[in-house]
Amino acid sequence: MAAGLFRKVYDWLLRTFWATEMDVTMIGLQNAGKTSLLRVLSGGEFTLDSIPTVGFNMKRVQRGHVTLKCWDLGGQPRFRIMWERYCRGVNAIVFIVDIADIALLPMAREELHALMEHENLEGIPLLVLGNKSDLPDKLSVDELIDAMDLKNIAHREVSCYGISAKEETNLDAVLQWLLKFANR
Amino acid sequence: MSYGKKDEDADTGLVKVDRTQVFQKARLFNSSPIQPRRCRALLTEIALLLYTGEKFPTKEATTLFFGISKLFQNKDASLRQMVHLVIKELASSAEDIIMVTSTIMKDTGGSTDAIYRPNAIRALCRIIDATTVQSIERVMKTAIVDKNPSVASAALVSSYHLLPIAKDVVRRWQSETQEAAASNKSSGGFSLGFSSSSSNLPVNNSTMTQYHAIGLLYQMRMHDRMALVKMVQQFGAAGAVKNPAAITMLVRLAAQLAEEDPQLKRPMMALLDGWLRHKSEMVNFEAAKAICDMRDVTDAEVSQAVSVLQLFLTSPRAVTKFAALRILHNFASFRPQAVNMCNQDIEALISNSNRSIATFAITTLLKTGNETSVDRLMKQISGFMSEITDEFKITIVEAIRTLCLKFPSKQAGMLRFLSGILRDEGGYEFKRAVVESIFDLIKFVPDSKGDALAHLCEFIEDCEFTKLAVRILHLLGLEGPQTSQPTKYIRYIYNRVVLENAIVRAAAVTALAKFGVGQKDPEVKQSVEVLLTRCLDDVDDEVRDRAALNLRLMKEEDETATRLVKNDNLFALSYFEQQLVMYVTSDDKSTFQAPFDIAKIPVVTREQADAEDKTKKLTATIPSLKPARAGPTKAAPSGAEAVASASVAAQKHAHELMQIPEMNEFGSVLKSSPLVELTEAETEYVVTVVKHIFKKHVVLQYEVKNTLPATVLENVSVVAAPSDDEELEELFIIQAEKLETDIPGKVYVAFRKLNGGASLPVSTFTNVLKFTSKEIDPTSDEPEEEGYDDEYEVAEFDLTGSDYVVPIFAGNFAHIWEQVGAMGEEAEETLQLSSVKSIADATEQLAKTLSLQPLEGTDVPVSQTTHTLKLLGKTVNGGRVVANIRMAYSHKSGVTTKITVRSEEEGVAALVVGSVA
Ligand SMILES: Nc1nc2c(ncn2[C@@H]2O[C@H](COP(=O)(O)OP(=O)(O)O)[C@@H](O)[C@H]2O)c(=O)[nH]1
Ligand SMILES: [Mg+2]
Repeated sequence: MAAGLFRKVYDWLLRTFWATEMDVTMIGLQNAGKTSLLRVLSGGEFTLDSIPTVGFNMKRVQRGHVTLKCWDLGGQPRFRIMWERYCRGVNAIVFIVDIADIALLPMAREELHALMEHENLEGIPLLVLGNKSDLPDKLSVDELIDAMDLKNIAHREVSCYGISAKEETNLDAVLQWLLKFANR
Repeated sequence: MSYGKKDEDADTGLVKVDRTQVFQKARLFNSSPIQPRRCRALLTEIALLLYTGEKFPTKEATTLFFGISKLFQNKDASLRQMVHLVIKELASSAEDIIMVTSTIMKDTGGSTDAIYRPNAIRALCRIIDATTVQSIERVMKTAIVDKNPSVASAALVSSYHLLPIAKDVVRRWQSETQEAAASNKSSGGFSLGFSSSSSNLPVNNSTMTQYHAIGLLYQMRMHDRMALVKMVQQFGAAGAVKNPAAITMLVRLAAQLAEEDPQLKRPMMALLDGWLRHKSEMVNFEAAKAICDMRDVTDAEVSQAVSVLQLFLTSPRAVTKFAALRILHNFASFRPQAVNMCNQDIEALISNSNRSIATFAITTLLKTGNETSVDRLMKQISGFMSEITDEFKITIVEAIRTLCLKFPSKQAGMLRFLSGILRDEGGYEFKRAVVESIFDLIKFVPDSKGDALAHLCEFIEDCEFTKLAVRILHLLGLEGPQTSQPTKYIRYIYNRVVLENAIVRAAAVTALAKFGVGQKDPEVKQSVEVLLTRCLDDVDDEVRDRAALNLRLMKEEDETATRLVKNDNLFALSYFEQQLVMYVTSDDKSTFQAPFDIAKIPVVTREQADAEDKTKKLTATIPSLKPARAGPTKAAPSGAEAVASASVAAQKHAHELMQIPEMNEFGSVLKSSPLVELTEAETEYVVTVVKHIFKKHVVLQYEVKNTLPATVLENVSVVAAPSDDEELEELFIIQAEKLETDIPGKVYVAFRKLNGGASLPVSTFTNVLKFTSKEIDPTSDEPEEEGYDDEYEVAEFDLTGSDYVVPIFAGNFAHIWEQVGAMGEEAEETLQLSSVKSIADATEQLAKTLSLQPLEGTDVPVSQTTHTLKLLGKTVNGGRVVANIRMAYSHKSGVTTKITVRSEEEGVAALVVGSVA
């Protein structure tokens, strides 16, 4: 009984004085796997028939005392104009690319660079994720860095990982990277 | 609640909430971590502003909206509910709202009975647009059949709003809606479904979902009568639906179906009768009202409804008594004898302390009662006239006005009453009603004239309404000179010149002049001249001009002056107006080369106009077969309107036909028929035809609509074969090049009259549609290269005598009937119209089929059993056609008619009769 109470008080103290909430925005062309990744990160099951996101979708991911509020934005052209608004003031931006769909890479690169031009978003760390690494004909991380021309993105910390939402490969690295920017 | 206009009283007693301050505070939404309580309070303030009519400018609304979207998915259920409420209200003014679709969608689903689910559904349907409706289809279908009635209702009502935006998608939810309408959720079993954690939530046991479901089903099936009939029968069965509001809707629907289709009258009446005994009063009232409003209802059919209403008259509850009485009051206006049986119960209510009930009791009795009770009832009303509102006063005045016409011998008492209340306090509408009633007395009850004019004179001495003063002055000008003491009126009129505003002064001058022009008594003439001369110094131009003109006219010796000033003839006004409108809106420049010809407008004498007016007034309130209805009805157009709409249609066609070079040599179109449907509305190809008559040609204009999805028809033509090819020869066909799905196109087939311009060929046409059909390739959206040729036969139609006549208007029938009879031909036919269920229907249909104009108000039958319809028109060649139709109705054989047609041209009478035979 007393222990239970103590536990509650401790939790409360932790939440109040240590708990941190951080905002993360996830963008990318439609079908890249943003919604799937977020579902898996927040402990859900991977499904093959995911319906396209209309607008955005928000989920919380809890890691220790940090809550990541993740905003998954729709990738269709009509929503892309609104990415910038949702990226303002966030702790990190995650850009997801389908590395098995090579034909779409140029468009992904253009969209990313256009977004990074915005003054409002200067300094916000960027993580580019090459998703669907479980599929056979895919790009390697180095190829992706070239294809996306990441070397030319300035004024911020930029990283690039290959992952698979389906097989849950490399997801821990993603979280670790994000958590670095929690207390700012 | 009014959202449109800022509600000034709304914030009295509440905390003062200011829009700019609220907007400043909205930064709170961006702070992390979220503070649910403070956010909720702020959202409540925003909601208050929005609900009381405040509107945030687009930019502010958008900022707020995005701020609020940060609050999504919070653990605090009440916060989530508030978020949805406010999002729903902001949806109309903020931009980019579509962004929150997916997030809101998440809150709509799930098996939990979370409090915010209905709110989420309502918000969702406000932010969705036509292109994204599909993505919420699954969510909506599930919500419609949700076991929680609040969720189901929210989904149904939202679908109702979505229907006009995305008809095809929402229509796919029919079977779910059907299920919701049929489910009688029982409260007992339902509350067990709650888990303990949500047991503190309010439990909704309402059956209102059924009402919402049936409302939606109706919207979905509105254009499919058979589906509606099925729906009424399925849900109207005893016990099928519990909710009284839902059944009330079924009652209205049943009444509407019975009205639209005589075949359905019997089954629908049976349902209505059953509902008279339903355990909910709401349903009883609606059913009784529907039966009373039913066109041509017989005494036997209505008796059950009247006795149910009679029972309610003795209810202890005032509102019940009132509702029953109001229906009886309406019904008594046209079927007083059917309400007679309630007189005793109504009598008991005339001194009821609720004045609304007392008013209706008295006015109902005035309608049902006999001459002897009139005086007593009038005395009773006088007792509380000052206690009731203008609206009820008008009801009483209207009742008395009809009584005046019905019992002229009672005029003295009624006039005393009317002049008495004319002195009471009251607004314009009330005073106008009284004045109109006195006008009617003067017009139709000659004995009252002297006193009535005196009362009006007195009234204008102190009348605050310019419009009324002007009308009364005009009447004094008309009637005064014919009385034995014209000078008496001159004094009253001249007082106005001295005391009133310019509008009234001008009217008074004109009225004065009527005493002077053509005046035989030199003394009177002299004094009018003196008075008018004084008016020459008036400060107002109009007053001076009128005075000068009339002084001049008074000096004219001949008849001209009298004709100008005291002309008792009027133009047939509605026809005049319509001709003028046609003239000034003509697209054809050549129309304006000739000035408008006023000689073509028929003239009616004042006597005729009055007679028509009286028929109208009597039929509007006393026995008429078409009762005034409380609900919305599509009123049948009056005779003159029908003429007008026909000629407007003709003009539209004429304009279209003029654009077709092949038809230029045909000259102008003389007559276009109404639209004839050649297919049912639901077929693959929907075809209609309009017959255009030219001097020497006949053109059939087919409109074809292809309703097949993903197909296009090319080179569409119609093979139109007349049964008799000795009179008509086909000249050419103009094809429709291409018909895409649901976009109608036109095909023209032109014929030449082989026997020349004066001939009026009649024939039956068979019609076959010919075309090449091509499917649309779904990938490219282009039609395929190769199509296949196809034919499609549609119904036959007739070209008849009536296609060559146009309705025309005249004041006096008998005269024309004799004239045409003296020089022309006559044809006669007796017909048994067994499918026509009433005199009113027969009247309407015959006038339409014959394409002739009803005269002397005969388009409104007064008796249910016999009627004479008088019609006039002329052929495209100009010869007059008159018809006299006598009809009689009997229950067994329907309507029997004897049609006699006379025509100036040879052969036409028989042709016209032939178009109905
Ligand atoms: N093979 C594979 N498929 C994936 C992976 N991640 C997502 N998908 C699939 O890609 C499609 C689009 O995913 P979704 O999350 O809706 O993409 P979004 O439009 O970026 O939100 C879905 O059919 C997913 O099942 C992955 O890691 N591997
Ligand atoms: Mg998505």
